[in-house]
Amino acid sequence: MKKNVKWKIGLTLAVIALSIFLIYPPKEKIKLGLDLKGGTHLLMQVITDDAINVETDQQIARFEEVFKKNNVTFTRAAKEKPGQFYFEGISADQEGKIRDLIDEYTRDWDYTLTGDRVNFKLKQPAEQYLREQAVLQTLETIRNRVDQFGVAEPIIQRQGSDRIVVELPGIDDPERVKNLIKVTAVLEFKLVKAGPAPDEETLLQEFGGQVPDDAEIVKGDPRRGLQGYYLVSKVASITGKDLRSVRRGVDEWNNPAVSFTLTPDGARRFEQVTGQNIGKQLAIILDERLQSAPVINSRISDSGIIQGRFTPEEADDLVVILKAGALPAGIKYLEERTIGPSLGTDSIRQGLLSGLVAIFAVMVFMIFYYRLSGLNAVAALILNTFLIFGALSYFKATLTLPGIAGIILSIGMAVDANILIFERIKEEMALGKNAGSAINTGFSRAFTAIFDSNLTTIISGVFLFQFGTGPIKGYAVTLICGLVANLFTAVFVSRLIFDLTVPTNAKKLSI
Amino acid sequence: MEIFKKTPNIDFLKFRWFALALTIAIILAGILNMTIGHGLKMGVDFGEGTLVRVMYKEPISVSAIRQLLDDVGLGDSIIQESGKSGREFQIRTVETRTTSQTGEEIEGHQILANKVISALQSKEDQQRLAQGMIDLNNIDSRSLTALLTEISAENSEELASRIMTYRNEHGIIVNWDELKKEPVSLPDEILNKLQARAFLGQMTVLSKETVGPQAGKELRKKATQAVIWSIIAMLVYIAFRFKGIEFGAAAIFTLSQDVLICLSIYSFTNREINLPIIAAFLTIVGYSVNDTIVIFDRIRELRKTMRKEPLEKIMNLSLNINLTRTIITAGTVFLAILALFLFGGKVINDFAFIMLVGSIEGVYSTIFMSCPVVLWWNQLFGKKKKVRK
Repeated sequence: MKKNVKWKIGLTLAVIALSIFLIYPPKEKIKLGLDLKGGTHLLMQVITDDAINVETDQQIARFEEVFKKNNVTFTRAAKEKPGQFYFEGISADQEGKIRDLIDEYTRDWDYTLTGDRVNFKLKQPAEQYLREQAVLQTLETIRNRVDQFGVAEPIIQRQGSDRIVVELPGIDDPERVKNLIKVTAVLEFKLVKAGPAPDEETLLQEFGGQVPDDAEIVKGDPRRGLQGYYLVSKVASITGKDLRSVRRGVDEWNNPAVSFTLTPDGARRFEQVTGQNIGKQLAIILDERLQSAPVINSRISDSGIIQGRFTPEEADDLVVILKAGALPAGIKYLEERTIGPSLGTDSIRQGLLSGLVAIFAVMVFMIFYYRLSGLNAVAALILNTFLIFGALSYFKATLTLPGIAGIILSIGMAVDANILIFERIKEEMALGKNAGSAINTGFSRAFTAIFDSNLTTIISGVFLFQFGTGPIKGYAVTLICGLVANLFTAVFVSRLIFDLTVPTNAKKLSI
Repeated sequence: MEIFKKTPNIDFLKFRWFALALTIAIILAGILNMTIGHGLKMGVDFGEGTLVRVMYKEPISVSAIRQLLDDVGLGDSIIQESGKSGREFQIRTVETRTTSQTGEEIEGHQILANKVISALQSKEDQQRLAQGMIDLNNIDSRSLTALLTEISAENSEELASRIMTYRNEHGIIVNWDELKKEPVSLPDEILNKLQARAFLGQMTVLSKETVGPQAGKELRKKATQAVIWSIIAMLVYIAFRFKGIEFGAAAIFTLSQDVLICLSIYSFTNREINLPIIAAFLTIVGYSVNDTIVIFDRIRELRKTMRKEPLEKIMNLSLNINLTRTIITAGTVFLAILALFLFGGKVINDFAFIMLVGSIEGVYSTIFMSCPVVLWWNQLFGKKKKVRK
């Protein structure tokens, strides 16, 4: 008997010590959700179609090259929709050759030959893979960007197949972060062939109104004070991938600018291009918008600056996105919440106050109604609260408003467990049993009800966690933690306290 | 201490038809109200739209705000006063009026939110903003640091954080004198320079939430799915533990009527359904199931010793024995929620309200609804079994 009690005391003390260790210091260990703390919550969708589009375009370009090299004739190549394209005007006697070439060059595309057309369709697994990769890369890039921006404890998570949730505590300027996350950030350096011109027609006059094969039109970025149209080479001399390092700098007029250095490979190409085109303009293009088009004064090898009437913040942001790299697909915002820090402060203060008042009121009532046994329940209740917060800290869960609801339910059920047991003990004593055996039967009889009701709620909590999203999950986590703790405190610890304080042969009990 | 000196002997089951009629009446009234009445208000979480919370320096009336919004064609927004000072309001715009070519409806909502915010700013503030002055009541910490760096190179970061902390605690800075005093203690020299560049706006934005139609729809779907699966799981578990589908069915029936009654009552208030409210409903369901199981547990136990007695008598006895416990438990929960309701602040108030309703209603449903359903179920489906035998 004595031995039995000893290990129970040991276990209880160990659990108390562990939860205090997990909670202390609470300001660091208990993470508050944005609804309690303030900050910005963004839900976005990755437009994975973009990745399929890029793949389709690349595939068309590739087979144009392959067919040309192998003397396969065709009149036209075109994209039908993302993941589907065709070559037209092929001759029937080259069918075998075409089949061999396609088999040799790709396994990810299904193809069918009908008449003078060969239709390509992206295979399902390949498509799946591309979409998956697009989401993962986007997640990684956004993470890099947010890290570079310097937000403390950001949460960046995938949700479902193509959703990403970004939570930024303490950010009170969401527009800037939103733009920072959303830009695709494809940086390209291209030679300027003509421009600027006020419209496309004027621009193309000297080319007979046609865009030359090796060129394309880009617009100036209005934010950089550039309004006109430019004709630039189709092939980029260097791109964002060739950058080795980027930092904020100044241009010759001391305006904010971004300076960069290139990788050895990029530097070699850059040297070649600048050396051959002295006196010409080089367009610096970000997301298909021309930022500036400086004249090449001399051969440049491994470093340079991007200028363009930036504000200091814009220059800083450009550094961040260039460092983090380009997004593989576009994103679309579905939901945006910004909770100001003062609303958060208010919620915490009032939530804490009301929570304490609530627990205090319950405790006073229990002691008032059940006397000394009420103290036992209060001890169990305090321990229960510690365990919930300890578990939250262990699982690194954040405490949100719905989470507080979960705690209320579990604490309510903890008190209820005590009430069930105490009422049962009273019943047994009314039947004439002494305190010791009444406690014994009381606990064992009440146990089935406590066990079944807690387990039922835990089961429903597990399903809510499995199928629910963010806030519902938050509710389920605190609920499950609370109820598991409840089974321990109300049944095990409370019993232990009775065993320690009430002698087995006691006649009366303060209840 | 005891509530009842002796175990009471009330024939609760006698009132079962009356209780059923009452339940149906409340639910019908609620359904009528939700469909052809003024309807259930979906919060920004589930519907689409924008929710802006603002705080003014001086008290202002709802009608004055409506007038301001009316001037920009947003007069039909839902305006609610929050807090007790008459200075805090939440404004909910309902529909997207901005057509979006990009298919990004959320952008439309955001334009709307910004329109609301600029409409609520006073004319003087707008002029000052147009002149390039900075609103100290709406500036973010980074920009404030930058501004302070421009006017005084020294410890601008620390000054900015002191000002921001002060603003966060008070919501809004009403006059410049506040910044001179503790805890901000801004030196006169810097204050003068700051006054030349910045002003204290009439209003500050506490929060801004925008939910696109897709996200709202998805959230609704996910929440419904989660609730349905968890109910099915409970049904299976209870049926298994109490060795009878009728007990599982009764528990589910009881919790469904809890949700419906609370929803009906909620629909008569001006409050909105949002995510914390869903959590509150789940909590009400949790308590209801808990209560029901406690009663069923006692029935299960008594059935072993009172084999000859009719089920109805056992049920009545179980309800009576557990009456003290039912009342005390509901009472403590009510007490706890009452604290949340009174001191919990605006964000938690709707949540606490429906929980208060739920804790009272839960007692009613446990006592008058859970057991009769088992009897009705047996009457409907039980007899057929016997006939076949």
